[in-house]
Amino acid sequence: MKIAHYFILILFCWSCSSDSSDGDAITPTDDDTPMTVTNPLLDFTVPSNFPDATYSIAQNPPTEKGFELGKKLFYDGQLASDGVVSCGFCHIQSFSFTHHTHITSHGVDGQIGTRNAQPLHNLAFMNEFTWDGAATFLDTQPIIPITAEVEMNETVSNVISKLSADDDYPTLFAEAFGSEGVNADRLFKALSQFMVMMVSANSKFDKLERGESVTFTDEENAGMAIFDAKCASCHAGTLQTDQSYRNNGLPIDPQYNDIGRERVTGLPDDNRKFKVPSLRNIEITFPYMHDGRLGTLENVLDFYTDGMVDSPTLDDQFRRPDGTLGLDITAEEKGQLIAFLKTLTDNDFIEDRRFAEF
Amino acid sequence: MRRFFALIVGVAILLTACNNNDDPGTIVQDPGNLNLVFENTVNGTSLDMAPTTYTNSSDETYTVNELKYIISNITLIKTDNTEYIYPVEDSYFLINEDGSKTANLSNIPADTYKGIKFGFGVDPTKYPIESGTLNFIPLAEEAGMLWTWSAGYKFLKFEGGYANATDPTNETPFLYHVGSHGANLDNYKEITLMLNEFGINSENTASKTIQFDVAKIFDSVHTLSLEEKNEIMVDPVNAPKIAENTSTAFSISE
Ligand code: HEC
Ligand code: HEC
Repeated sequence: MKIAHYFILILFCWSCSSDSSDGDAITPTDDDTPMTVTNPLLDFTVPSNFPDATYSIAQNPPTEKGFELGKKLFYDGQLASDGVVSCGFCHIQSFSFTHHTHITSHGVDGQIGTRNAQPLHNLAFMNEFTWDGAATFLDTQPIIPITAEVEMNETVSNVISKLSADDDYPTLFAEAFGSEGVNADRLFKALSQFMVMMVSANSKFDKLERGESVTFTDEENAGMAIFDAKCASCHAGTLQTDQSYRNNGLPIDPQYNDIGRERVTGLPDDNRKFKVPSLRNIEITFPYMHDGRLGTLENVLDFYTDGMVDSPTLDDQFRRPDGTLGLDITAEEKGQLIAFLKTLTDNDFIEDRRFAEF
Repeated sequence: MRRFFALIVGVAILLTACNNNDDPGTIVQDPGNLNLVFENTVNGTSLDMAPTTYTNSSDETYTVNELKYIISNITLIKTDNTEYIYPVEDSYFLINEDGSKTANLSNIPADTYKGIKFGFGVDPTKYPIESGTLNFIPLAEEAGMLWTWSAGYKFLKFEGGYANATDPTNETPFLYHVGSHGANLDNYKEITLMLNEFGINSENTASKTIQFDVAKIFDSVHTLSLEEKNEIMVDPVNAPKIAENTSTAFSISE
């Protein structure tokens, strides 16, 4: 009896192994199988002075081919209905991926958006995206520019069809993701892989924070002290943002009447609140504020001392005891603040060939 | 002796590895399919689109031009109370009164089941890559189930016209679009429906009809009057009420 069982087991084993030898026919040693491309993982390292990444690198680890695909997509006008306006049209590397020939952004057919294109850097450390937090994940954020009439005015489905019919993309998608298929999942993953790698962490400020051999001038040091006292309650930490939404007292622009965060939450308490922006590379990301109304850092500081208007959601920090609005900063201090803000410029990042269009 | 034991275990593993339907001794049946058919109704009868009129409890007559909603995260409850979670990336379905009203689920482990759990909308807390929603975007977009200015979904799109019952010909349009409001307000709902035990296996494709009572959108946990508000979109007060009402609108007809 036992022996019979044993014999059956052996038979099964044998039938199994004959199956697997069928499988051998498709192993990579065979001549007519596609050549396997090597696609090494890229090194995403959190700079030692940075907080933890919020982006789940484990879910979408950037690879060499994924990054290259993301970059090609980022600079490709096919993502827009007119075949011209690419992501890189509004997000230009030399300005830390913002745009400044226009105040608010310009899209397909020269249509004018209502907001100033945000710089793209250190996105892997942000909780929410856009000026009002309308995107809760970096992977879904590109839906907004692709589909917005005033930006790329396209549909995701149509982008997928265009890319599928393209000469190069099907191969590039296959190389990046290990199998055939152009789909939305891969499109957004590739864009994220490109954007997540855009880490700007080599400014003078970073080097000082990391104890590398740089020293601040007296003016920069004085500026940092004023910044810590007057600005860091909102522009907090290494990335100069607590990632909250606040009203900093900008007069409402009747042309746009932008309600800010209220558009996302529907809450009157969020009226005219915008995300506290990171001030990284601030020297080169002008014009400033959600609608780009302020052209220079001097304008920004003059606004903080003298330009605010009251509204029910204005942040309490801007209410002086005597009932007037604004922060107290002397003219000398303004110069020092600007000197400090310029230490946040990271030339390595804006010149990094990995992100360059050409 | 130990080596002999290892051999037996090894052989047993191989055996299970190549276990398939050619194996006469096995009791495991092959997986089967389940078709969930959504039937939109009003108070028990099948919904007719405009110009058919219905009356809500606020004494308003209404007609329906568009009714779409998203169903997701389907889980089946087995008779032993364990659960089978349908692969999330395949579990997003758009139910459209003017289009597809079925969710065809395939490759479900053969077993006896007694309940179905599903989500109304798209769980906003789930990471989109992990939850596989990115591939659902083109379909949702074509159906107009994405907010145009944000990167989120509309869970329910319900549009039509209404009039006061005293003057039913004088119609005004209404529009209810409900989704989550960024990470701020979560209108995603989970629904559990228990039913008579049913088997699923390769020989037995089960089909279940889930009724969605449109009248409950207006009148259930909360009462919503169209005259009071005929356009509800990103509305932190009323959208959650609609979502709660909607979550009570599903039932199984057997
Ligand atoms: C027409 C100009 C324009 C185009 C084209 C464009 N953007 Fe933007 N981008 C903007 C503007 C304006 C904002 C701010 C939007 C807002 O606050 O509503 C922005 C914001 C963003 C943000 C959020 C940044 C943050 O810190 O929260 C990301 C990420 C982004 N864009 C990526 C992209 C990608 C990827 C593409 C291409 C698929 C793209 N953009 C195409 C103008 C543009
Ligand atoms: C109460 C919170 C708060 C404080 C304090 C504060 N800011 Fe801001 N800051 C904001 C918000 C919110 C915005 C975006 C407002 C908008 O665009 O509508 C902003 C925008 C800016 C911008 C424009 C950034 C860009 O990318 O366009 C600069 C520069 C800036 N702040 C510098 C400062 C400096 C310097 C101080 C201290 C003197 C300071 N802020 C104090 C909340 C604050």
